[in-house]
Amino acid sequence: MGFLHRHRNLTPYLLLGPGLLYLAIFFVVPLGFLAYQSLESGNFDVGYSFTWAWGNYWDAIQNYRGHFIRSLEYAGIATILALVFAYPLAYWIAFRGGRWKNLLLLFIVAPFFVTYLIRTLAWETILADQGPVVSVLRDVGILGHDGRLLATSTAVVAGITYNFFPFMALPLYVSLEQIDERLIEAAQDLYASKWKAFLRITLPLSLPGVVAGTLLTFIPAAGDFINAQLLGSPQNHMIGNVIQSKFLELTDYPAAAAMSFVLMAAILLMVAIYARAVGTEKLTG
Amino acid sequence: MTDALNRRELLRRAAAGGAFLTVPGVLAACGGSSNKSAGATSGESKTLAKTLRFSNWTLYIDVNEKTKSHPTLDAFKKKTGTTVQYTEDINDNASYFGKIQGPLSRGQSIDRDIIVMTDNSRYPSLLIKKGWLEKLDKSAIPNIANLEPALQHPNWDPNRDYSLPWQSGMTGIAYNDKLTDPVLSMDDLLDNPKLKGKITLLNEMGDTLALVMLANGDDPAHVTDATFDKAIKRIKGAVDSGQVRQFTGNDYSGPLSKGDLSACMAWSGDVVQLQADNKHLHWNLPDTGGDIWTDNMLIPKGGNVYTASVYMNYVFDPKVAALIEDYVNYICPVKGAKAALQKIDPAVAKNTLIFPTQKMLDNVHIFDAAALNNQKYLTTWQNLISG
Amino acid sequence: MTTAAAAEQQRPGSSALASAWAFVKHHVLTVYALLAFIYLMLPIGIVIAFSFNNPKGRFNYVWSGFTLDNWKNWDGVPGLRSAMVLSLEIALIASLIATALGTLIALALVRYGFRGRGVTNLLIFLPLSTPEIVLGASLLTLFLNLTIVFGFWTILIAHVMFCISFAVVTVKARLIGFDRHLEEAAMDLGANEWATFRKVTLPLIAPALLAALLLCFAISIDDFVVTYFNAGPRTTFPLFVWGAARVGAPPQVNVIGTAIFSVAVIGMVTNVLVQMRRERSTANA
Repeated sequence: MGFLHRHRNLTPYLLLGPGLLYLAIFFVVPLGFLAYQSLESGNFDVGYSFTWAWGNYWDAIQNYRGHFIRSLEYAGIATILALVFAYPLAYWIAFRGGRWKNLLLLFIVAPFFVTYLIRTLAWETILADQGPVVSVLRDVGILGHDGRLLATSTAVVAGITYNFFPFMALPLYVSLEQIDERLIEAAQDLYASKWKAFLRITLPLSLPGVVAGTLLTFIPAAGDFINAQLLGSPQNHMIGNVIQSKFLELTDYPAAAAMSFVLMAAILLMVAIYARAVGTEKLTG
Repeated sequence: MTDALNRRELLRRAAAGGAFLTVPGVLAACGGSSNKSAGATSGESKTLAKTLRFSNWTLYIDVNEKTKSHPTLDAFKKKTGTTVQYTEDINDNASYFGKIQGPLSRGQSIDRDIIVMTDNSRYPSLLIKKGWLEKLDKSAIPNIANLEPALQHPNWDPNRDYSLPWQSGMTGIAYNDKLTDPVLSMDDLLDNPKLKGKITLLNEMGDTLALVMLANGDDPAHVTDATFDKAIKRIKGAVDSGQVRQFTGNDYSGPLSKGDLSACMAWSGDVVQLQADNKHLHWNLPDTGGDIWTDNMLIPKGGNVYTASVYMNYVFDPKVAALIEDYVNYICPVKGAKAALQKIDPAVAKNTLIFPTQKMLDNVHIFDAAALNNQKYLTTWQNLISG
Repeated sequence: MTTAAAAEQQRPGSSALASAWAFVKHHVLTVYALLAFIYLMLPIGIVIAFSFNNPKGRFNYVWSGFTLDNWKNWDGVPGLRSAMVLSLEIALIASLIATALGTLIALALVRYGFRGRGVTNLLIFLPLSTPEIVLGASLLTLFLNLTIVFGFWTILIAHVMFCISFAVVTVKARLIGFDRHLEEAAMDLGANEWATFRKVTLPLIAPALLAALLLCFAISIDDFVVTYFNAGPRTTFPLFVWGAARVGAPPQVNVIGTAIFSVAVIGMVTNVLVQMRRERSTANA
């Protein structure tokens, strides 16, 4: 392995090479087609032609501004909820899971084995108007006497949270599991309470996982459409639904393409702000 | 793609699809290297191909659960020697069209002889408009005489040159008698305050607008800007007031059977199945009229017209249609199938949701296909159902 | 009297309450974990329950009676088994390739300085933010241009493409905060780079690799939109379920979904038990 020693400068490029080449061919090139399409104009009947139609972008922002904002909102809330719910669970598996850790991780991704449609139907059964959950909520007063959970923004956000839970939980676990318990013991030997030890030692050390989980949850959730379609009313639809319908029903490919790029730009902007807020490369890599 | 494309035609097709012209793409379109079109196009050859490539919706043909085979397809092979390569890869009209428009717009074949698409969506008429369908070889389909009269002249294919029905369905109103009094009209569905937040409409523009227009006293077969706007306004009012809970595809079936919905716009075939487990569900055509839609067999460009036509003739034999109908339980387009079914499965033959009465057939309409392809209408509709 | 002594004096009377509170505090995390798992598995419970349902019609929404027929006749729906087999094959191979490529990229990003770091990060985050419908359609365009026949390979290529990013971010969370001293110690003791990687680094990041594998597997086995556009004539499990749902997904769908999950669980449990037995026998020996 002297080769890598002598050609130290080459190593990162050799490591990056295969993966980035793969993405260059099978992602960047298709993205190029999409970019080309986004600047086309015309309609499906007579055909589209490339005309540097920047107007598509402007139309997308102007006409569907509400949907963009709503999507970022729903995705943001769902991400925070996922973080709050997943962190203690990931912590428990990492520190108390013992030899059963891998099995417990399997339980986290279990819902994905039964496909999205089936698990959403199951949730519709659980959250049905006539079902136990809604009845209890009505009795307790959280819901009005005629209130419902399904076909509301609550259901959409809950659906996104549930369906993206593993994307938050697994990176959190990965980061937490690495923490050496002796550090925590040492802190407690030095008279820190359990809670303080957590805040001063565990939490900071798990921040890479928090950042990773947040990104892996928020980014795809912003473009999601299926939760809004099945669990939401028309007022809850996200930009993903609009892109879906522009592409499939209206066969307006330039509009769908332009909208997708606007969404991607919005997401990346938020990611950049987030990365800056979180701080150093030590956390984001 | 067996016809040679001249350069002008090639560029026109590439521009129509907005595709990137690349050398491999051009070669593909010209040479058809990976596209195995099964043989000749319209009427050029009368020999049956060895394989018929048939794309259909999932669980939409007869099945023998023990042998996991499709008896009518096996019988077809016995009769003609042609194996049917049956793929269930159509889940949804819009998605399927989105998938096949890529190759079709570049003049490539999609390796299918028969596909099935629904005419309450814009896609069958759009396919005809773009010239992406082959004409049927009617000389090979004498059984076309068995086509139900109500389905013989749809406005998007008046002479049935490009299509033949596979199954039909009606759109009407379903309601749960445990939760509400009978809901028999669109007025009731849209305006009754007792149903607020407990109804859904279909997200298919052709279905919902047809029923609302009929309730407004307008003709859905001839849509004008005025009648369109009137219907949209009415629906929007119901959406804004919270009367309409959601716009659904057939995912209304879960909430309906569980009691989340008191009533909804529903397809007849679904309710046939739901009723088996929930006796409280009922389905009716609205008093002002409902609509009828059809899943049609179409031959995409590059498909083998003769073999496809022979197959279509085969399924229009009442005895074969009866076998398929016994399993699928939507509406059979073949005259005489009901009689054939009386012997095999009288319960199915008696069900008016599978073999509707003449009175019902008189009360259903087909939506204006031109309106289905009107970009302005479509955009308004999508904005309505997507907030 | 010191506060400690005062506290000592106070203890006898409130010791029962104090120890009860201590019990709860110690176990609150476990209780939470249990609740979280119930939340995750609740839909699975419904799915399993309804796999024993005996609906009279085609739809499986309402409980109509218990039966074992669906399990006995698990293979009775044509096309369902081959769809599931294809999904499993693709998920397994795609997650392995994506994790491998992703790990290499993560190593490069975290451990080396190189030019193009920003571009690399962009390339990793962009696929996550691209709406599935345009991603699938653009990839379709690429395949059409390359005249690749649609089927197993196009599905596989697509799945690896969108899984790489998840693998990168997950493994990165582990590599940040990785203690390089262990590797340095190994090298000081004479191990070359490759041996160090194999014997020190790899075992230490193994949990992250497993987490990335699980995540990619879950994403792949559940993917619908991108797969639909690039599957050609093949059908995966989500595609089959989607199509079947129109006329009523048969209970066998529930059976196969939960069966796959159960097999994985049994596999992992067996693994743990075997390990435990091995440890016990080496302890006794």
